[in-house]
Amino acid sequence: MPQDLIAEFFAGLAEQGQIPTFAGQSATLRFDIGDGEVEHWHVSVDKGTVAVSRQHKSADAVVRMNRPESEAMVTGRLNAQTALLRGTLAVDGSMAALMMFQRCLPGPPGSTGRVAPISSATVMSWRRP
Amino acid sequence: MNTELVQILEGNTFVVSDSGGDIEASPTDPTGLFSFDTRYLSHWVLTVNGQRLSPLSTDDLHYYQARFFLVPGSGTVYVDSQLSVIRLREVANGFHEELRVLNHQNEPVRLEIRIDAASDFADLFEVKDALAKKGEYSAEPAPSCLVLRYRRETYTRETSISATAPAVFDEKGLAFQVTVPPHGEWKTELHVVASMGIAEGLRRGAARSRAQYRVHRDMARGLEKWLQRAPRLECDWEPLAAIYHRCLTDLAALRFSTLTMPNRALPAAGLPWFMTIFGRDSILTSLQALPFNSELAATTLLALAERQGTRIDDFREEDPGRILHELRYGELTAFEERPHSPYYGSADATPLWVVLLDEYERWTGDVKLVRHLEHAACAALDWIDKYANLQGNGYIAYQRRNPQTGLENQCWKDSWDSIAYRNGDLPGFPRATCELQGYAYDAKVRGARLARNVWHDLALADRLEREAADLKRRFNRDFWIEDGQYYAVALDADGRRVDSLTSNIGHLLWSGIVDKAKARAVARHLLGPRLFSGWGVRTMAEGDARYNPIGYHVGAVWPFDNSFIAWGLRRYGFREEAASIAAGILQAADIFAGRLPEAFGGYPRSVTRYPVEYPTACSPQAWSTGAPLLLLRVMLGLDPHHEHLIVDPAMPKWIGHLALLDLPGRWKRIDAYGRGRVDTDRATSR
Repeated sequence: MPQDLIAEFFAGLAEQGQIPTFAGQSATLRFDIGDGEVEHWHVSVDKGTVAVSRQHKSADAVVRMNRPESEAMVTGRLNAQTALLRGTLAVDGSMAALMMFQRCLPGPPGSTGRVAPISSATVMSWRRP
Repeated sequence: MNTELVQILEGNTFVVSDSGGDIEASPTDPTGLFSFDTRYLSHWVLTVNGQRLSPLSTDDLHYYQARFFLVPGSGTVYVDSQLSVIRLREVANGFHEELRVLNHQNEPVRLEIRIDAASDFADLFEVKDALAKKGEYSAEPAPSCLVLRYRRETYTRETSISATAPAVFDEKGLAFQVTVPPHGEWKTELHVVASMGIAEGLRRGAARSRAQYRVHRDMARGLEKWLQRAPRLECDWEPLAAIYHRCLTDLAALRFSTLTMPNRALPAAGLPWFMTIFGRDSILTSLQALPFNSELAATTLLALAERQGTRIDDFREEDPGRILHELRYGELTAFEERPHSPYYGSADATPLWVVLLDEYERWTGDVKLVRHLEHAACAALDWIDKYANLQGNGYIAYQRRNPQTGLENQCWKDSWDSIAYRNGDLPGFPRATCELQGYAYDAKVRGARLARNVWHDLALADRLEREAADLKRRFNRDFWIEDGQYYAVALDADGRRVDSLTSNIGHLLWSGIVDKAKARAVARHLLGPRLFSGWGVRTMAEGDARYNPIGYHVGAVWPFDNSFIAWGLRRYGFREEAASIAAGILQAADIFAGRLPEAFGGYPRSVTRYPVEYPTACSPQAWSTGAPLLLLRVMLGLDPHHEHLIVDPAMPKWIGHLALLDLPGRWKRIDAYGRGRVDTDRATSR
């Protein structure tokens, strides 16, 4: 059985319950994932506490995307903002809800936050003709 | 061709045309209809019976509206003035143009009126680079409209053009066959709608904007209301009223709404190319404008918190807690050819966000917002210690992690040569510039105040106060250059002092990190012959190897920089020095007809007599617009103290009597008065 990355992601959210970056905030989102057979994930954030269900309920924001892109997004390989600008992600309803939600998505794999120092001599060598 | 460009805008939508209203963009000619960082029209040319028109006059009625009076022909001799054409153009989500053709003859005339339209859908970043596009274009004429479209994979942008009068649409534009009665008039309204053609929410946003066409008259009233709501200024020195009015009007034009908060406004960085959120620019402008309008600050705080970093992303240089540098919506951003989705490469926006939060509360008493933003504030304060400590010595430092498209210098002086040793050598990376440490100190002190008074987290307050005191002690030891009696502009990667003398030391006074015993020496440098030009403080001192009076960050005078330096001087009790800087900058503002440029030359005042404007494509610039506002605050010595506003004027003599009436704040409304007593002529006659 192949890994279901999307189910794992939402299960992880539900498990955390309180998500610090959502502190004090409330919103609901529904993700309609897939082209033919659409699966629904309903995320409800109530003052920072997250609950996830598979119900097709109304929400502040309804987000539609295909499965491969959804998998890329929940594993940090696709950035939500660029997906929105590119039209790979469509949202109906509250942009603010989507903006809040994207904060819980992981960063791109391979980003370390670190970089080797550069000496003054090296910087000067860039600038010499 | 008409070389004079006319620009009108609303939010991040703007139209740049020639003085006849036509658009003929070329790679070197940045005209067009732009929205969300994309050019939606690169060609828009009106002809009557195949003839181009020439302008008799152009009225910039408001920042969002222009009127063009035209006649057919080349315009050298008005032999054919039997017709006149009036275009009235207003920006909304795209633009709206009222086209009127007047027949001055006793006979009816048959005319073909045609508009050629096309779009290259260039990303704002591409406009000057003329990069080849990777997607496909189409033009779809229909009976009632023409849709121009660009598509690259799922990325779609559309321009739709329609008219109220019957027209024939083809792939290259639209045409009207009309008969205008004798001494009569023919009229149509043209609608050009820019659409991102993607998300439903955005589409609805566009529909909302279309509806705004109808209530567009409200914009004029909106501007009027904005001006009426601002405190009233009275002054013996007449130019000050004009400068003040110019600043308020420009600030209105610079208002920008994000997609998530369409009904609130924050200051964008500059007009027209920087009509977007910039962390640093939006925060500093909000600080400058706080005594006059606190809504800009509230929206800036909320919009930046909403996009605060939460993960490690090397391409965008995002970290948890980091406040963004710049947000863009164009194609290059969408396809990750640029990192602005958003880009986080700024080392000062994060502590400055905390500074703004506290200053906002001091003026407004809006503890509700401060409580709402507690988590964001704590994340920002954590960023300083956890993610910005790149040299391992407890100082904020920066080094880009995106070597292709990231910024080398992540402080306000972001050009490549701005941070240099006295001898002109450039330091390695990471770099810890001095003003960043000042901002960090101030953020901790102010964070402690909020923790104590609003969040009631005494442990946090104690810790932040301890850290601030420790930072101040170490900073005054590590950055101080004993033989020069000033602070190094930075510490390099080896902890060595980068020893040029720069305006950055003025920001240190503003932050409060300067030891009292060292303040006098710093003030003396700021008003001394190497830094002070007579108009203002230079970014870099005369005598340093890279000094150049027209060097962007290595000698030019920046009005915004000076406004914060003046604030810093007041903070340490240097009243006359602060008044002298206000004098120089306000006199320059008068010469620039109230609109200060981003920067002007650092030549000594006695040499050029007039300030020499630094060539820049962007005007008005938000923080230059805010500079006179902050200087008003500084001159009157306005400072909130609990529920009161302290007024302690120290102003140039020639200002005479100055009053700011109905200053809003936690005291509701209050009046502030002052009279000029400081002789600033000697300092500014340099």
